[in-house]
Amino acid sequence: MVLGRSSSREEWSEVIANMVAKGAKGTSAEFGQVLDYLTNNFGPKKVAAGATAAPPRRTGGLTQGPNDKHVVDAQAAARGRAIYISECITCHGPRARGKGDNTDLVRSLTVLHDRYGNTIGPFLRKGHSTQSGTASSSFTDAQVSDLANFLHQQVNDTLRSGPFSKVLNVLTGDPKAGQAYFNGAGKCNTCHSPTGNLAGIASKYDPPTLQQRFLFPRTANFSRGQIAQVKPTTVTVTDANGSVSGVLDKIDDFSISLRDDSGEYHSWKRTPDLKIEKHDPYAAHIELLDLYTDKDIHDIVAYLETLK
Amino acid sequence: MTSCRVLLGALALAASTLSQGLDPAKLGQPPTDSWPTYNGDYSGRRFSTLSKINTQNIGSLSLAWIYRLDPGNTSMGGSINSTPVLINGVMYFTVPDHVWAVDARTGRQLWQYVWSSKGGIHLGNRGVGVYGNWLYFETPDCNLVALNTKDGKERWHRQICDLDQMYYASVAPIVIKNHVIVGVSGDDLDIPGYLESRDPETGEVQWHFSVVPKPGEPGSETWPNADAMAHGGGMTWVPSTYDPELNMLYVGTGNPQPVIAGKGRMGDNLYTESIVALNLDTGKRVWHFQPSPHDTHDWDAVQTPVLFDGEFNGKPTKMLAQASRNGYFFVLDRTNGKNLVTSEFVKTNWAKGVDAKGQPIPNPAKEPQVNGALVSPNQAGAVNWPPPSFSPATGLFYVNASRAFSEYYIYDESEKPEGWGGNDRGGWAEAMLEAIDYKTGKIRWSHKWEGTGGRSGLLSTAGNLLFAGDPSNNLVALNATTGEPLWHANLGASMTNAPITYELDGSQYLTVGAGDTLYSFVMNAK
Repeated sequence: MVLGRSSSREEWSEVIANMVAKGAKGTSAEFGQVLDYLTNNFGPKKVAAGATAAPPRRTGGLTQGPNDKHVVDAQAAARGRAIYISECITCHGPRARGKGDNTDLVRSLTVLHDRYGNTIGPFLRKGHSTQSGTASSSFTDAQVSDLANFLHQQVNDTLRSGPFSKVLNVLTGDPKAGQAYFNGAGKCNTCHSPTGNLAGIASKYDPPTLQQRFLFPRTANFSRGQIAQVKPTTVTVTDANGSVSGVLDKIDDFSISLRDDSGEYHSWKRTPDLKIEKHDPYAAHIELLDLYTDKDIHDIVAYLETLK
Repeated sequence: MTSCRVLLGALALAASTLSQGLDPAKLGQPPTDSWPTYNGDYSGRRFSTLSKINTQNIGSLSLAWIYRLDPGNTSMGGSINSTPVLINGVMYFTVPDHVWAVDARTGRQLWQYVWSSKGGIHLGNRGVGVYGNWLYFETPDCNLVALNTKDGKERWHRQICDLDQMYYASVAPIVIKNHVIVGVSGDDLDIPGYLESRDPETGEVQWHFSVVPKPGEPGSETWPNADAMAHGGGMTWVPSTYDPELNMLYVGTGNPQPVIAGKGRMGDNLYTESIVALNLDTGKRVWHFQPSPHDTHDWDAVQTPVLFDGEFNGKPTKMLAQASRNGYFFVLDRTNGKNLVTSEFVKTNWAKGVDAKGQPIPNPAKEPQVNGALVSPNQAGAVNWPPPSFSPATGLFYVNASRAFSEYYIYDESEKPEGWGGNDRGGWAEAMLEAIDYKTGKIRWSHKWEGTGGRSGLLSTAGNLLFAGDPSNNLVALNATTGEPLWHANLGASMTNAPITYELDGSQYLTVGAGDTLYSFVMNAK
């Protein structure tokens, strides 16, 4: 995870989902609080019209690159894009990644070392060919600044936190084959029904979310900025005094704890005589991870997408 | 004072022992009263010959001291990922931008050094290297800093990478003879990885090994063009190991770049995701072996290349073993890089088989796809950077492993993606501690942990113990032969480094880091 960036609620929910997948622990309510905090404190930035971006003072944190790096002013970048299109795009390409032998500006050290035009400006003032034939040395400070903002924006867009880090299209499967898998080899119909608990599921979730939800139901309950409830693992513990059932709280090699239906907390030291029966409501989904083919997965998404 | 005199005597005897009191000839006999380099010795085995703490008395282990970090009025990134270096009864360890010296007997702080940062990712720092009275560590803003071990005063600092290109530095420098070996990190923009040897007195570059070749050099045939090579990645963010007899340095290299979207770098992408043997004095490559040709899953092959000698097919053999992030275990002949064993230590689904060289053959269908590909292991890998351990007493190689799935996507369909251009999402994982028989690659025992995450580094000892962190914040001691858990202590946070052990005043200590706290346990002398 990289802090010090601005992201939407949906983007932060995806970050949290990935953290959970990699082992972060917490309840749905706790993750909801984290999501609120991140969105409120690291949400989309609102830049006032005409405002000059000033580098925020940062110390440490999980931000990549230098603390004094160029902070992009989105409006200046939009103006810079217009200049780029009229003067640069033919040689340097639509995303400034170069074309043929022409320089890839996203990887250019002149751009990466730049702060607010302080290396891009001198470079242009020395003279560089332009599409319109306008002398690059005649660019005003404001134009240089706008171009610098645009180019830094292109660099930022290649980062994993960039706006293009989005699933494109997972809807490539065969819905009929997906339905057959659902009712056949996948045995999904043991617990699910298109007219029962999956009725209208495709209206609720977009295809990438549908895909994640059946693959990884424990981590995929983060979508559209919402954190849904995850069904807990339940457990029955039996010792000489009898059995207690409830929601699993903690288990390791040495102890186990649960909360029963009344909310009462129980814990035991694990011994060979202590019998533990765990029930993971998502066990069938986990078993499928070793059985699915990628085609099966894409077919299931296509089938679920028909359940509007 | 005794150990001080021994160190001074060694200094007078040979320049090679100038470094940190570790005589390279003692590769197989690591010292017991110190932990003088990241892995304890140059072999990377993390095996201690100490046996005062053993399977019989582990239940009597007691807490000696706790040291909780106080970073002062500065932000602090990450937990204690560093393995403490212990010399003359003083322990040196780090988090990003911070170095501490504490008394290994009492946990009392001697000094703290704080670096004023200009940026960079503050994810973790793996520790220090020591040469005589000088201590070296790397900073997230790309500096190698030399301090005086006595008082933590700075001697000099040298820039070792370019922060503007989003490099950062996190690895523990390794000091061997008069070389300070430094590596670099950074996966955000497409930049080339390298390893350098720096002069311990001046910090100047002695040699520079570029992980990715230049056009016309060996390995360049595995890249489509000069541009892809110049931006090809291969970071060097886990400490190397070293064989003094062969004078070879063994380096694990990181993923190629762009990390996920590999369309613009077709080919095997040497020497990324490789185990590379370098001549210590020249930095010239001697041989290589590539665990993950043309990786597109961020599976750095940086995991410690562990060195040990033993019997293989009836012959005494100098070996190197790596449990790699891609889920495969490799044993090589470390004189020439020839493969002896390749096996899966967790079940994976990304390779079509193994080639004649013993390298897995990636299945193109399991590269990230626009509509998603279900891949195991996930991006975090079957293992990650936390160090493994090899016990010559049991002949077993220990790994704190995960079996994990995630769905890998391509976000950038263009012919030349840059930066990330894809990622994995979601996932499921299970965690287990495994003991691998190096002769066959087969799992001798596997201890499944409850829950996932919280994987720590490992330590094995002549007391037939294996120390590990579990996913539930426990420091666990297991029988190294059978995998039976014998003792544990819940530290309230996951273990975030690998344990070390040492003997002072006849008592054996065991020290681990969990989050912002060091815990030192002891078996007191009778």
